[in-house]
Amino acid sequence: MSTTTDHVHHGSHLGRILVIAFHAFTQLVRMKVFYFLAVFALIAIASNFFDLPQHEGPEAVGVNVLRSIKSWSLGTMTLFSVVLSIVATALLLPKDVEDRTLYTILAKPVPRIDYLAGKLLGVLLLVFVSLALMDVLMTVVLQIRSTMVLEQQLAMAQSLGWPPDAIESLRAETALHGPSWSLQGAVFAVFLRASIMASLALLISTFSSSTLFTTIISFLIYFIGHFQADARDAYLQAGQAGEGVFARLAALVISLVMPDFQNFNVIDAVIEGQAMPLLILGKLTLIGLYYALFFTIASWFVFAEKEF
Amino acid sequence: MLAGAVLVFGAVRMPFEAGLAKELRVSGLTPPPMQIGTRDKIGQTSSAVALGGLRTLVATFMNLRAFTFFQEQRWDQVADTFDTIVDLAPRTRYYWETGSWHSAYNAASYYINDSKLPALRRREAWREAILRGRAFLERGIKNNPGDWSLLANLGFLLSDSNKVSAFRAQDQTFAAAADAYARSAATGNALPYVTRSALYCLARVKGEEKSALALARSLYAEPSNRTPTLKMLLLVLEAFENPDLDTAARASELFETPEKAYEALSGHWQRTRERFPVHGVAKALESLEQSLKISPEKSIFKQAPPEQFDEDRWFRQ
Repeated sequence: MSTTTDHVHHGSHLGRILVIAFHAFTQLVRMKVFYFLAVFALIAIASNFFDLPQHEGPEAVGVNVLRSIKSWSLGTMTLFSVVLSIVATALLLPKDVEDRTLYTILAKPVPRIDYLAGKLLGVLLLVFVSLALMDVLMTVVLQIRSTMVLEQQLAMAQSLGWPPDAIESLRAETALHGPSWSLQGAVFAVFLRASIMASLALLISTFSSSTLFTTIISFLIYFIGHFQADARDAYLQAGQAGEGVFARLAALVISLVMPDFQNFNVIDAVIEGQAMPLLILGKLTLIGLYYALFFTIASWFVFAEKEF
Repeated sequence: MLAGAVLVFGAVRMPFEAGLAKELRVSGLTPPPMQIGTRDKIGQTSSAVALGGLRTLVATFMNLRAFTFFQEQRWDQVADTFDTIVDLAPRTRYYWETGSWHSAYNAASYYINDSKLPALRRREAWREAILRGRAFLERGIKNNPGDWSLLANLGFLLSDSNKVSAFRAQDQTFAAAADAYARSAATGNALPYVTRSALYCLARVKGEEKSALALARSLYAEPSNRTPTLKMLLLVLEAFENPDLDTAARASELFETPEKAYEALSGHWQRTRERFPVHGVAKALESLEQSLKISPEKSIFKQAPPEQFDEDRWFRQ
């Protein structure tokens, strides 16, 4: 079927998963999802010209544009990756049923977990490639613009006769808003959040009756996931404000059932110029993996019982 | 069975996620939860976008809205919008500085000339706008304690000669300005002028002459700090410490020649608006006028003093 996976033994779990993953990836690419990259390119370039009202002194000129590029780019990445991961995953199972591909695959000795994992991996591959392309574009635009801003600022500082340590401080502050490893970490955090959503959509699609239902429920959970931490705090700090038993129970159920997406909002801090420690990224990765694994195994349990 | 598994899965991850959330909050990597008021103000759609992890993007849009309010001189809405913006993006220095500037400078200046209000109300509105700008900046500092620029901006606002009367207790205000500048310098990222500014404020606080002199001496030790104001304050503070000091000789030493010393002292004598101390300045000027043979008609004491700053005039009409 695929030349790229010829070297993988098709009888192994990994081999089967990879074949299904590449098939799902190709299937999605044929749906022309990469067209949105043109829109992203437009946004990344246009964000250069969103020259926000400037009220700062000459030493800060241009920093707002850098923040604007990051804000628009990462915002667009979040939006695209979440939409893509939910819609693409919600689409795959019903489409395979409609095309009758699913019956052909399941008639063969393909464990259902391999099928599900392959489909999920295909979607994640698509999201990863899309984010990587957007990341490259953002980094290039940001690099060019931050070099220009820095040159402007250094010329200003030298013309005003600033001492070397002041110039160095200015350079360091501006560099915080240019391309950095933390920014790459933020893009990876965007990918992790999209991965959780994709695996969750996979779970929902195993028992849902339609693509629309899966999509709507996934988006609802996505938004509730940003409140989940509030519910958890309400549960953990319960009693201080005299909440009733019911309110406490409701907070506990929401905390246990809904995923927590607030921790992924570190992306905002990176846009504002803060550094993201590697340890934090590692912890977010652990959380992402934990969710993805759990939702995939749960999907398998539901899917294994399903009659076609 | 699935429901049970979901609950167990949730119970296992909850302590880890709660711990990480706390760690992120403490290290300032995630902002505090969005206020209910903010959710109302930005509307349902923006609220959903902000909750979807795009708070900084919504803040960018709100900043554009604030600029429109600024152009239309709707000051209460400018202040309200900036309250919302900083709730969305509390780590962005620009929003804190701009919000404070709009209030303490633009809105305050607007009220000086607002012909629709009677004089007393204009003065009160002017003062309130300045105090609101100060409070906003102080909130920004609380949210970003390591930000040198916010602290330096607070120091600047509190020592601004056009605003100082709005704060009423002058000594306390200059002391607070000196403290803000000193904390800014202590971050290690501030520009060199910040430490000098701390001295310029401290020198104006009655009772702090000794510590101001110590700071002036340590700054003077570094040649790049030897600005005319710093040299003058060093002289004035030395004269306060030792009233018998030959201030003319010391001024000539600090400013290299008696002529330059006379020029600098004359400038300082007439620089009344900033409320700098003048210990020993008159004595030095008299002595230098004699030694430089300046005719009595040309004496600085005969020159018309610069127009006295009188903010009451702003509110008389």
